[in-house]
Amino acid sequence: MSHHFPALLVIAPLLSAFFISGAGWLNRRFCLPLAVASLGVAGLSALSLFWRVVQQGPVLYRLGGWDPPWGIAYAVDFLNAPVLVLICIVALLNLWASHRQVEEQFKEKTGAFYTLYVLMVTGLLGITVTGDAFNLYVLLEIASLSGYGLIAMGEDRAPLATLNYVYMGTIGACFYLLGIGYLYIVTGSLNMADIARILPGLYENKAVLTALIICLVGLWLKMAFFPLHVWLPNAYTFAPVPSAALIAPLMTKVMVYVMIRLMLTVFTPGYVFSTLGINDAVVWFAVIAIVMGAILALGQRDLKKMISYIIVAEVGYMVGGAWLGNRAGMTGAILHIINDALMTLCLFLAVAAITYRMKSYTFSSLKGLIRKMPFTMGAFILGGLSIIGVPPTCGFFSKWYLITGALQAGHYGFMAALLFSSLVNVVLFFRIIEIGFFEPFNEGHGHGEHGPEPMNEAPLSILVPLWIVALGLVVVGVYTSEIITHVLQFAIPKAIL
Amino acid sequence: MKKLGLLLVILSGALLLYATVDFPLWGDPSSPASLHVSPRYIEKTMEETSVPNIVTAVLADYRGFDTMFETTVIFGAGVVCFLLLRVLGGEEGDHYYRHLPTGVTIHVKGAKGKSLSGEFERIDMLWTPYDLVIKTACRIMIPFIQIYALYVIAHGHHSPGGGFQGGVILGASVILLAISQNLRTALRRIGEKTVGILCAIGVFIYAGTGALCLALGRNFLDYAALASVLGTDPVTARSHGILIVETGVGIAVMATMIWIYNNVSSAGRYDEGL
Repeated sequence: MSHHFPALLVIAPLLSAFFISGAGWLNRRFCLPLAVASLGVAGLSALSLFWRVVQQGPVLYRLGGWDPPWGIAYAVDFLNAPVLVLICIVALLNLWASHRQVEEQFKEKTGAFYTLYVLMVTGLLGITVTGDAFNLYVLLEIASLSGYGLIAMGEDRAPLATLNYVYMGTIGACFYLLGIGYLYIVTGSLNMADIARILPGLYENKAVLTALIICLVGLWLKMAFFPLHVWLPNAYTFAPVPSAALIAPLMTKVMVYVMIRLMLTVFTPGYVFSTLGINDAVVWFAVIAIVMGAILALGQRDLKKMISYIIVAEVGYMVGGAWLGNRAGMTGAILHIINDALMTLCLFLAVAAITYRMKSYTFSSLKGLIRKMPFTMGAFILGGLSIIGVPPTCGFFSKWYLITGALQAGHYGFMAALLFSSLVNVVLFFRIIEIGFFEPFNEGHGHGEHGPEPMNEAPLSILVPLWIVALGLVVVGVYTSEIITHVLQFAIPKAIL
Repeated sequence: MKKLGLLLVILSGALLLYATVDFPLWGDPSSPASLHVSPRYIEKTMEETSVPNIVTAVLADYRGFDTMFETTVIFGAGVVCFLLLRVLGGEEGDHYYRHLPTGVTIHVKGAKGKSLSGEFERIDMLWTPYDLVIKTACRIMIPFIQIYALYVIAHGHHSPGGGFQGGVILGASVILLAISQNLRTALRRIGEKTVGILCAIGVFIYAGTGALCLALGRNFLDYAALASVLGTDPVTARSHGILIVETGVGIAVMATMIWIYNNVSSAGRYDEGL
């Protein structure tokens, strides 16, 4: 059976989506256990695949029993194995933290919500595991479509924000498809490894250059790379918290993974970095993304929007790091995929806990919250420290690699942008600590002094996963060097120095 | 802003034109696309899958995994429409009824829970005339449309067709019933729950067939594994496997068409609507 783990990883959540959908009509009590079980199976498959990759090297799975390039192949290697584990963990933890809210908010539609939730995870896992460029597009459609549905169920303005996202996201996906079409015209193949084998003879071909540009622009749209980010803040802010806490940590990060996958194994580093020589320009775009993301985050008056703009800046980190064209930068970018997903999850789960009690996520509702919800705010601050980049949280280490990469490449603009954004993050999170600690809780009864506000924490079903993630930030940080020596360094081709 | 948009469109268009310089010639038999993977499909399809229609074989067997997810996309679209549009509970408001023998229309306020005797027929608020011609014509056409849909699904092996097209035609026949009569008549024939479950069952047939192959010891969606179950040789099993998944696709597409139509046309109320 272990031979089938790559398939099981995707099929278990896929099949469960149909059962959950059916259970939604017949007996809603089965929806959640089915979702948990299927994501658990996927998680175990991902873990054992990860272990096998570390022990024995990359794994190939031929779907339908056909050899690539005629059929579709799944390829698990050092680059995507950690991302697969990450997706499963984030999806499971968020499901644990949010099931109570889902059932309260969606009632009769719980089945449909969980169906889309599981489908979204299926799509993300498929995007990550696949070795076929067109199969990636199909799964991108699944992840996006279910993502639109999950986001649109939010507050009043959610449908409009989603419509915006649908337009932008569809254009992004179409661009990716168009790029793959161009590659197919000149290579005749859709399998990534096969394309990479054929391409070296075609480096001078104008269609290959166009394919790369179109694919990149499409992916940048999907990952909200400034200035293509305009859909993101509203979509993530108005989305229901259970959806936002799934989509915000994963969607953009998986898209960054796809970009790195295309750069490293489809177009190959030789073409991307040496033949083209556009890396400097892209890193400058990333500099603008980081600076603008940080400045826009400063101007926000509520938590979700602030975190959304932080994500825009973080996408700049990863794109810039990947395009520095050296080993340290690429390591930092890949490491940051994992770290940023965990940090974003931590912040969004904290927001989920705050919204659960306060029914609001504006800054003004945070007054006195550190005394009222000390555990939630503690985890939130830990997440904030990681975003700022304080050791030993994981955010420090990926930022360290990114800055090292910037220095090695002699790209001081990128380094300055990273430091600037860290400083802005310090301001952002200390402002929240100030509001939460020093400003009094403002919902008094209006007669006399009450003394300190009584503690009123979020339920344990949110707090426990929240603290698992928060401590995970430190654990990942402490084990960074192990992750790099045993996994990530093999993910980067030797051609990159 | 408009000028910037125009500039971007022109630039993207120019980029796409720029790429065509190095394209292979139109219809060139020695272009990479016709030399690399296609020859095997063209030469071996019959021998490997015993399906005369190469498109069907590529779609449902060689690249059947993609098609499974395309079907899932359709399923997802149905679920999203339900999640976003369906308004559950509360069929409040006024109803219109037509007295069949006389053709008089009456307006009942707060009609929830009330039902009138058999001589009355509920009609939509947006006035619908009693139209014998349309109703009768559609009643005659619908069974033939459905038989044709089954033919399209079953004949996908030999001619253009298959699950997607057949499913759309099947779905259209039910939608025609809803248009020619009204939504409630169509819902009496095939209810909301049935449609929702059929939608899941359809895609499940596809993915479940794949999982069965896996359980029988071959790779996911390797229909050759079905040989022992179907009692045929592995190549014929591939052909039968394709028919099974095409049937699943047909069911899923039909159910999703109806599901989306019901939700969109009645704005999620399942009450009135064209």
